[in-house]
Amino acid sequence: MKHSSASSTVLLGTKTAIKATALAAGLLLGAAAQADTGKLLLTGGVSSIDGAAGGGLTPWAVIGSNAEDGEIGFSANVTAAKTQDYGLKTYGVAVGIQNRVELSLARQDFDATPAIALNGIAPFGVTPGQHINMDIVGAKVRIAGDAVLDSDSLMPQIAVGVQYKSVKPGSIGSVLDFLGTKTSGVDVYVSATKLFLAQSVLVNATLRSTNANQNGLLGFGSGAPGKNSRSIVPEFSIAYLLSKNVAIGAEYRGKPNNLEALGRAAGLGGGLKEEAWKDIFIAWAPSKNMSLTLAYVDLGRIIPGITPKRQTGVYLSGQIAF
Amino acid sequence: MKKTILIASMLLGLVSAVSAQTMSSSPALYQAFGEKAGLVKLMDDFVPRLQADPRLAEAFKKANVDNLKSQLVNQICQVSGGPCEYKGPDMKVAHSNMDITKTDFNALVEVLQQSMDAQGIAFSSQNQLLAKLAPMHRDVITVK
Repeated sequence: MKHSSASSTVLLGTKTAIKATALAAGLLLGAAAQADTGKLLLTGGVSSIDGAAGGGLTPWAVIGSNAEDGEIGFSANVTAAKTQDYGLKTYGVAVGIQNRVELSLARQDFDATPAIALNGIAPFGVTPGQHINMDIVGAKVRIAGDAVLDSDSLMPQIAVGVQYKSVKPGSIGSVLDFLGTKTSGVDVYVSATKLFLAQSVLVNATLRSTNANQNGLLGFGSGAPGKNSRSIVPEFSIAYLLSKNVAIGAEYRGKPNNLEALGRAAGLGGGLKEEAWKDIFIAWAPSKNMSLTLAYVDLGRIIPGITPKRQTGVYLSGQIAF
Repeated sequence: MKKTILIASMLLGLVSAVSAQTMSSSPALYQAFGEKAGLVKLMDDFVPRLQADPRLAEAFKKANVDNLKSQLVNQICQVSGGPCEYKGPDMKVAHSNMDITKTDFNALVEVLQQSMDAQGIAFSSQNQLLAKLAPMHRDVITVK
């Protein structure tokens, strides 16, 4: 039964999904061999778009899956977001080991169709309907604290994480080359998560060191006079538990703004400016093994030189966890 | 960046407001549980559930039910701010000869949540009580 629920979660019939399903099924068989896992509902967070357990846009210090001390657990997720001009699908899997270590894989498929307009700026050769794909391999280690049970202290759960990202931009590669960005990068972050249990409020703060443009979908760093070095950016989540299995909340994810200066020098004005991501969400866990998250996202303006509107829209994510 | 600072200071404000509230204990919680009579009803529901739960049955099947109920009533009465004194064994001593994992601890929390739901206790009151009980994990969990 664990097998079939994994398959039905991966709704999107692409090659990637098939691969993810096969991987998920394999991992599930492994997980099923373990003893029952025992986290309380929603205390493992949901899956973020980068694969790490957390909110939707930012990682938390919690270790994904239902595994507690002495256990190994597993989760898989499918996420889709659609804004005025862009779309993103993400498939991810994560393993939680002993409530100490989390390993995650995520594959992002970004529909960058509006990028064809870049051909009007220079002959970049961007093809119609171009997608940008990115793979993210993540690891996270809990270094201190218990976000849930240490309710008599202000000490949060603290974790450090690393994400290796590799982007395949297809015909947009010529644009990224022109901008002087690299096609891979590493983010390093530290997260602190605290559940104020008596108030039913969860707070997370993350500091991330990154040189990614739009999370890496537009490469890493920038040619001069853009910013090629790393930035430390803050990310916040706050969630309120309405009941045992429903949480509502909001998130803010700060971002570097590496490309704007380069765009200005190239006569594009603020056309390459990058802005923060935000969302408000509701997460529902109908059972210990499943959660659904619905959000309204505001991704700011993305390459305002070709798509000047703020990119707002709907985000939907489904996760299974054992 | 200005926005970031604003959000950070809002969060800090919230955290300090929240923590000020956490530290104070009030008999309002005892009242939310229906005082002594409510706690007796809660434990009349909770103890049979413990014994029926497949994850916990083994640990609780041999318990002296009446004694367990009355000790739990007194303990919850005391931690919720009621006029009771828990005279049972220290949590560390009581669990020292058992193998209790965090998963076991969480299973007991889940069963308690089921009982509180069955007694119609508001979710916010449930969490206020759990916040007072959760730190006991340090003494109760023996397999770390």
